Amino acid sequence: MSKRAPNPARPAAIDAAPEFPKGHVDTPPSEEALLLSRRGLLGAMAATFAVVGAEGCRRPIEKIVPYTKMPEDVIPGVPSHYATVMQRRGDAIGLVVESHEGRPTKIEGNEAHPSSLGAVDLIGQASILELYDPDRSTTPRKGGAPASWDDFEHELGAKLGTFDKDQGAKLRVLMPPSISPTVLRMRDALAQRFPKARVHTWSAVADSNARMGAKAALGEPLNTLYAYEKARVILALDSDFLQTESGSVRANKALAAGRRLRSAKDAMSRLYVVEPARTATGDTADHRLRLAAGDIAGYAFALAGELAKSGVAIDAQGSAAKAAASAKVPPKWLTAVAKDLAQNRGHAIVMVGSRQPPEVHALAHAIHAALGSVGTVVNYAAVADPAELDVATDLKALTDAIAAKQVETLVILGGNPVYDAPADLAFPEKLASVPLSVHASLSFDETSEKCSWHVPRAHEYESWGDAQALDGTVSVQQPLIAPLYDGRSDIELLAFMAGPRAPQKAPLDAVRATAQALILAGHGLSGCAPFDERGDAECKDATGNPAGAHEYELDRDWNRALAMGVVHRPQGPKAASLVPNGVAQAIDARKVGPKGSGAFEVTFAPCPKMVDGRYANNTWLLELPDGATKLVWDNAALLSPESAKQLGVEKGDFVKIAAGDRSVTAAVWVVPGQADGSIALTLGWGRKKAGRVGNDHGFDAYPLRATDALGFVSGVTVTKTGDEQYFFAQTQEHSSSENRPIAHQATLAEYRVKPNFAELDGPPPRALPLWSQADYGEAPVKDAHAPSGHQWGMTVDLNACTGCNACVIACMAENNVPVVGKREVWRGREMHWLRIDRYYADRAEFGASADDPAVINEPVMCVHCEEAPCENVCPVNATTHGPEGLNEMAYNRCIGTRYCANNCPYKVRRFNYLNWHNDAVFKDTGGLPETLQMQQNPNVTVRFRGVMEKCSYCVQRIQSSKIKAKRELRELKDGEIRTACQQTCPADAIVFGDVNSESSAVTRLTRLDRRFGLLAELGTRPRTTYLGKVRNTNPEMA
Amino acid sequence: MQIFSRSLNKLPQVVGAAATLGLVGVTFLIWYYFSPWFTQVGYSPKQPVPYSHRLHAGELGLDCRYCHVNVERAPMAMVPPTETCMNCHQLVKTDSAMLQPIRDSWASGKPMEWVRIHKLPDYVYFDHSVHVTAGVGCIECHGRIDKMEQVRMEKPLSMGWCLDCHRDVKEKQGDSEHIRPVAQITNMEWKHEGKVDPPRRLDPPENCWGCHR
Repeated sequence: MSKRAPNPARPAAIDAAPEFPKGHVDTPPSEEALLLSRRGLLGAMAATFAVVGAEGCRRPIEKIVPYTKMPEDVIPGVPSHYATVMQRRGDAIGLVVESHEGRPTKIEGNEAHPSSLGAVDLIGQASILELYDPDRSTTPRKGGAPASWDDFEHELGAKLGTFDKDQGAKLRVLMPPSISPTVLRMRDALAQRFPKARVHTWSAVADSNARMGAKAALGEPLNTLYAYEKARVILALDSDFLQTESGSVRANKALAAGRRLRSAKDAMSRLYVVEPARTATGDTADHRLRLAAGDIAGYAFALAGELAKSGVAIDAQGSAAKAAASAKVPPKWLTAVAKDLAQNRGHAIVMVGSRQPPEVHALAHAIHAALGSVGTVVNYAAVADPAELDVATDLKALTDAIAAKQVETLVILGGNPVYDAPADLAFPEKLASVPLSVHASLSFDETSEKCSWHVPRAHEYESWGDAQALDGTVSVQQPLIAPLYDGRSDIELLAFMAGPRAPQKAPLDAVRATAQALILAGHGLSGCAPFDERGDAECKDATGNPAGAHEYELDRDWNRALAMGVVHRPQGPKAASLVPNGVAQAIDARKVGPKGSGAFEVTFAPCPKMVDGRYANNTWLLELPDGATKLVWDNAALLSPESAKQLGVEKGDFVKIAAGDRSVTAAVWVVPGQADGSIALTLGWGRKKAGRVGNDHGFDAYPLRATDALGFVSGVTVTKTGDEQYFFAQTQEHSSSENRPIAHQATLAEYRVKPNFAELDGPPPRALPLWSQADYGEAPVKDAHAPSGHQWGMTVDLNACTGCNACVIACMAENNVPVVGKREVWRGREMHWLRIDRYYADRAEFGASADDPAVINEPVMCVHCEEAPCENVCPVNATTHGPEGLNEMAYNRCIGTRYCANNCPYKVRRFNYLNWHNDAVFKDTGGLPETLQMQQNPNVTVRFRGVMEKCSYCVQRIQSSKIKAKRELRELKDGEIRTACQQTCPADAIVFGDVNSESSAVTRLTRLDRRFGLLAELGTRPRTTYLGKVRNTNPEMA
Repeated sequence: MQIFSRSLNKLPQVVGAAATLGLVGVTFLIWYYFSPWFTQVGYSPKQPVPYSHRLHAGELGLDCRYCHVNVERAPMAMVPPTETCMNCHQLVKTDSAMLQPIRDSWASGKPMEWVRIHKLPDYVYFDHSVHVTAGVGCIECHGRIDKMEQVRMEKPLSMGWCLDCHRDVKEKQGDSEHIRPVAQITNMEWKHEGKVDPPRRLDPPENCWGCHR
């Protein structure tokens, strides 16, 4: 009773008129014959029953609908892969998208792209659902009523025509920061037509502080590139560089590379994190200090002074000393950290988070210069748009202009400023006073509602574009599907507004022209004339001499760029040096944020799931357990246990958080590891017009955010409201492993003394295997009973895992895992095949305590036991053991007794209590929308009500690779099969392969000294092997 | 005193009759679900165009792969696009009334809607390419297509029927009568005489996830 997603080449059953085949039923006798006799009547009855019977048993008639004209390169049933790119904050992530007969279904990273290196984060994985969001806008709207693109073009075109006289003085455009060279080119074209018009930039989550810090220290806003893999000491000051900051995917890859342990002799880098709220970065740290966001600048300045004592002379020493404030920091966090940094000159990094003010960023540049890290582990690259500096100032300039009645037409391209603009700007009210306002967006949202016009914007996966990565690499964004809802891209809209000044009208032409200039520049050519009829063009080479270019060469390079996903790579890092006195001036001129009378501070961070609210209607992300709290479908005001005690609140209580006249009421969640006196609120929740599932989840933090306090606001007052407790749902209610040996960890010193700590710390076997089995952890596998052929296994390196959750979403996308909704999660019915367990440890050796625990994240999916407890209890043999060691689940045999789940010690089996796809979150809106069905993987059964399911080691990928190898008459290569979680893991923590092969990567890892089998003492002989976590603690911090 | 009422004297007969009826019913159900009636052997629906495999594949001798081009490289052999028909029928039988739907489809771009005959359940992930490249001929599952005026389902395509072949091939390798040289896969007249050298070690799956997933 299972069904699959409709597949254009293999369509779902089309119910045609019931037709019974020839040869089964005779033609019924004619009417006269019926009336003739009793015998005839009986015959007619028999024929009728036969017809009814035949109809009842007949399977529905299914049609095969082939193409009329076959598109080139399409093989029905075999997915194609296309390279494209997506913007993530200030970075571009290169992607490879799997497409089934023109229907994109799965996002993967592009190995050729420097910001991806083959991996994607959880947002990248979930972005495919945004494309198919059933609540995307389908038509332009005027004042809320549907209108046509022609009407829109006519009205805006006429209005723009009147602006030509005064050069567009009353025209304003508002858009999020762009890293697209073509969008920036079109923006320049718009400026040529309307020199007095202004393009403002706003995004609730931006890198403004980093840019201003770089401008102060280095003279221009530059991107800073960190070579974490070469670093020995990394200090992150309020920087969640592994999850929410720009460039996090590459950061994960590089950090894991610098901390990879293959034996006890290997070295690993040391990560210090100072932060107010728990993040993936803080959970990964070797030493973590919880410190209110407002105190971090003071700590940074004090640390600069401490570095001077260690002989590292920092520019702006005097200014830093004046600004230093270190009262709240344990002294060893200054002395020991400074000493560690000074001892690792040239290999030390100091990261500053985007929440911290510009002068702290400037100071980090000075520290890097003084430590000699520039050129070794710190490099610089030019930004895509040097004009983008401080988005808050820019937005304020716009609202001031509106207030001064200087704006007649405002075009908002993307973003949702009515929802996310700082509260003190009163943006919604001011927007209402603009005579003509246009909002281009994916859905008809809060901002669209307040504008006179709304037009649908094309998604990144359905329009041409390009994007420049942090390091300067430019990639083309290829459309994977024609616009689903008649949307248009920013390039098209800007080209329309630039009118005759637009160099190209069609987005493809515009993107191609940008790429061609870059390709020619790559060949050392510039200033090319247009190509003539023969395809020749006259250019100038680097020395200024004339040189020829040929169109076919350009076409070849363009096609190669599309296939590879990279058009242009930078020649090398950009040289930059400190502006004399720049850092000192920045520190001296620092503005201390507003401080109210209250005792608390509130920090605002982009939600790892919702980002700034853009993904609020994404069911996968809504149901994803938060890394720190394991809450689903909500955010919360996070408090430390101490702060909660002080306020007299507990989990679920409502508090009113007030900063001046701005206030927010939110429910409380208590998290150990949160800084005392600091409340964390993530952005992007509490949307009102997100769509059919995204409205009214969690608490909106934006009403508390002001232009002078975008990162955090100090001195807020917090009062308990006394309302009834809020209902939260959590996937993991237990935080401690209660000293049970589940997730093993040790300090580096302990590891060196006792390399196989993970196995030794585990209990002795409580049950012996029922029969002799091969031990793949021992080399070589000698057992006479060792099975031949492929034996699949997996390793999960807990030392690399940061708990970023990308694997969880990748698994949902690959395996058609349903979403069940908040109440069902609360009942323990979540369906994730892969979950990330997190445990708190308060060992003093890790510098941890009960209120500030050391965190370990452990991804758990079916471990494919060789002696699986689930198999023994299934009454119908629905779960059986395959010859390659897979614990197999046949959905069609399952009768839903749930014995297997009860007998599984890992709790990885998930039961379909309902037909989740239709009857959970989409129950009241007519079931799973058709567009979301388009996302589903046609190679995986969509499970129905009443069956058990679990991780399959992505058996569809195993089978298709095996079939490919068989077809090509060769053996499978190691690494040819990658599970969805492995492929997307930015830290390379998960490795899958054949443990029966001596040369495979997974075999080498399975035999590492840090290995342990999760709950192996039960005699289950899991095929998934975990590698223990090692914390590189500094003995001087003890 | 009588504990049981007299009417209960009939109980053994009633129980006996019910048991007999039940047994007959169960036998019938088992017989039915294993019979060609259930598996629809012989199913031969009318197609929108009475395309004759007997004429094209038999008499004219077109190779199966002229139309079913992906059979060696994809899970689906593929029903050909209208374009493939028009390759010839632009020149041959251009005024045939029977071919009108093909010409209409070509002119309008609206695809043909053929009736599916060989249907496996959606939870079965059958792959043509892996069978064909192992030396399993078309005839093994589709029968003498070259003799069919209107295609009919020849084999039950049930799981037991699949496994019979998988087990036979695994045991006998090239000696199995289901295996032929890869060059002969579309040959309808080929006869198994003696051992065939298969292109690779044949290891057809017998476990659940071999075909279901």
